Amino acid sequence: MDELIYNIAIWFDDTRWSTMLHESYYMYNWVESTHVLTLMLSLGMLFLIDLRMLGYAFPDVPASKFANRLNFPMLIGFTVMFITGILLFYAVPVRTSQSVWFRIKMVLLVACAINAYLFHKRMSESVSSWDNDARAPKRIRTGALLSLGFWSIIVMCGRFIAYDWFDCQYEQSAFIEFVAGCVDGQTRY
Amino acid sequence: MPTAILGPYTRSILTVTVIAATLMFSFTYARINVYTEIMPFFEWMETTWFGYIGKTWGGAFATIQAGHLIGLGVLGGCVLVSDGRLLGLILTDVPHRTVVERADKVFYWALLTLLATGIFMACGVAMKIYYLPVYWYKMLALVAGMLFHYCVRRPLVAHDLESINPIILKMTAVASILVWFLVAATGRWIGFSG
Repeated sequence: MDELIYNIAIWFDDTRWSTMLHESYYMYNWVESTHVLTLMLSLGMLFLIDLRMLGYAFPDVPASKFANRLNFPMLIGFTVMFITGILLFYAVPVRTSQSVWFRIKMVLLVACAINAYLFHKRMSESVSSWDNDARAPKRIRTGALLSLGFWSIIVMCGRFIAYDWFDCQYEQSAFIEFVAGCVDGQTRY
Repeated sequence: MPTAILGPYTRSILTVTVIAATLMFSFTYARINVYTEIMPFFEWMETTWFGYIGKTWGGAFATIQAGHLIGLGVLGGCVLVSDGRLLGLILTDVPHRTVVERADKVFYWALLTLLATGIFMACGVAMKIYYLPVYWYKMLALVAGMLFHYCVRRPLVAHDLESINPIILKMTAVASILVWFLVAATGRWIGFSG
């Protein structure tokens, strides 16, 4: 599996557009800045919805109305982040695919997607009984707390990707090599 | 009394004057004396515990940076929701006042988070940022943002919003979004410099 991921990353890395994006100082920085600054739209809206459920923000605005109205801008933000995230991966595919932090981030993104699905399902099933309450029921609050926690760690992992502590090009412990998916005899990093 | 002379816009006019004076000061040679005199302060920042931790443990620095980004995200969310409401783009079926006041409470905590994590980060790289022009641009933008928010926008929206000219409200909302975007963008720019 690690070898397959490595070979796909090498294939991306060999494409002209990947090199152009990586070598273009301004374009790469524009993409990266857009990825980071869109946090204000995506994560900003998401955290406000989560804080609303926990009773810390907008307690007198009906929960369903608040979540529904903020969903659209939040999804625009996440779409932009997703596109720019793919471009950032495409620009530096080998190192990123073997980054421990990137891998944790991907696992947490899946966890967030499942949590979001369950959160919305539970909310739509029961919201009529607590819509005007300052705090949502415990099940919804747990979902909101998980969302806050997962996304905070995702931001942290995203920041850590820039650091080379666990890069395959350095000597690493067997555990790190396993998690990072380092390939024996690999020549490109 | 200034209030009597300048009328209901006293605070706005004074704020704009302070921002303009600060900008003029920053972009003229008058700043050089002050700039030289504050260098020891930046040297001292690096010797504090924050400076020591920031320089010694990259992991601690990166974690605080992540906290800074989360604070930025929440602050941006508050600005977009609150100003989006003033622009009539979001939560249009919730009263202006409710949205603006509730967003302001979260904004306050997000700003505190940004300032606290920002001070820690600044201590870790104090001498680097001292020589970075973009750091000073960010500080100018941040001061302008805070002055604008607390001295212009907040007093304005504290009035009965129905009595305020809608164009003034919309211009205030656009200015607020722009100034906070400028703070975020210059912060990102620091990462590309030096």
